[in-house]
Amino acid sequence: MTLTILDQVRGVASDLFGLPVDRIRAESSPETIEAWDSTQHLNFVLALEEKFGLQLSPEEMEQMRNVGEAARLVEDKLPRDPR
Amino acid sequence: MPIVIEPYREEHQPAVEEFNQRLRSGGAEPDLVFFRFAKQRWLPPTEGAGLYQEYFVALENRVVRGGYALKHQDFFFADGITRNVAYYHHPLSEGIINKSYAAVGGMLLKDAMNRSPLLYCLGMGGYDRPLPKMLVRLGWAHFPVPFYFRVVRPKRFFREMQALHTSPSRRLLLNLAAFTGTGWAGVKTIQGLQRLRAPRPAPFTMEKIEDFSDWIDPLWERAKNHYAMTAVRDCQTLRTLYPASDTHFTRLRLRRKGNDIGWAVVGERRKDEKYGTMRVGSIVDCWASPEDALAVVRAASAALVDNGVDLIVSNLSHLLWARALEHAGFLNSPSSFIFAAGKNLSALLQPFAESQSRIHFTRADGDGLPRNF
Repeated sequence: MTLTILDQVRGVASDLFGLPVDRIRAESSPETIEAWDSTQHLNFVLALEEKFGLQLSPEEMEQMRNVGEAARLVEDKLPRDPR
Repeated sequence: MPIVIEPYREEHQPAVEEFNQRLRSGGAEPDLVFFRFAKQRWLPPTEGAGLYQEYFVALENRVVRGGYALKHQDFFFADGITRNVAYYHHPLSEGIINKSYAAVGGMLLKDAMNRSPLLYCLGMGGYDRPLPKMLVRLGWAHFPVPFYFRVVRPKRFFREMQALHTSPSRRLLLNLAAFTGTGWAGVKTIQGLQRLRAPRPAPFTMEKIEDFSDWIDPLWERAKNHYAMTAVRDCQTLRTLYPASDTHFTRLRLRRKGNDIGWAVVGERRKDEKYGTMRVGSIVDCWASPEDALAVVRAASAALVDNGVDLIVSNLSHLLWARALEHAGFLNSPSSFIFAAGKNLSALLQPFAESQSRIHFTRADGDGLPRNF
């Protein structure tokens, strides 16, 4: 079974914020995850860059207001399947 | 409004002034101000040069919410490759006075990482400050660059050193130490013992010079392989950092039997309230093979003593240079001068714990040249 981008981003967030993956939802954000402060936000961005092999700009970093938005941004940045 | 980060241009200057004003009225420390002018007074970018500075501002619409600076410089690494590395400095965010902008600090650092993958920070004022706290949490490799001092005039040191005068009773004891001469005797004994225990460098000659010239390059080439990481210290770099027109620096050339063995740049620091009215000299920069470090440190100290300073300070990271300072009678004190390497840079320095003692950093590798001298 292939994991969706959202599932993979949830996995990254789970590892970083020290929460079980089933507690990370698309709506999870700094308001709902206590450990998600500005430094951890940067760590989250860096972890996504490493996981998906892409580079995000500070402006994109600012747009990631929750896990779902992060997944959407990653999806947009990944090269499209040519099929 | 989204925040965008752009190179600092002249048109941003009024907004930077307003930003500084907001920081001041918001209760930020008085020295936390961003550069008033977009054009760099020190190390402006020039065609083809590897040593230059850039400034950036974070803009929300046309309002400045933060800024930072990068100093780009070529560094030589143990693998024999020279790479351009950037020093991230002066990051300032409106987040320090307004929590709605708490994310700006991280955005500034991310922008710097994107622009220069090999990044380091230096100084920062101690591990309790926000930036080093953030870097530690980001997993940057780090260590405090050892701080050393040598008391030249103990009486003035005990009277003026504000950091020691923390309570009325302590002040009284220190004044007694100053006036009765016990402080003088104590300091001279400790420093003298260190010098007595030290190996004696082979005889050398020291000459004060007006400018650096071609003899620098062979010395750079001979010694560079002793270091795990060091800023390039060739003739062109030294002439950029210490131009002959800057008479505040004293440049020293050391020779043994007619051969160049090292150089040092020393200077007197600007007045700083923590040192009272003392004249504080600094070993700003130095170079030699590590086996000649003691000769260089002794020559640098002697030049500063001749210049009439009361106290000499230095931060040198390489283990053998730090040992040379001890052998020259310097005392070690806790350091707030921290070196932190971003992940890509620290990957070049693995194993970091081993490389750490062979990295050559001096006060000159920070942003301190124009500010502190």
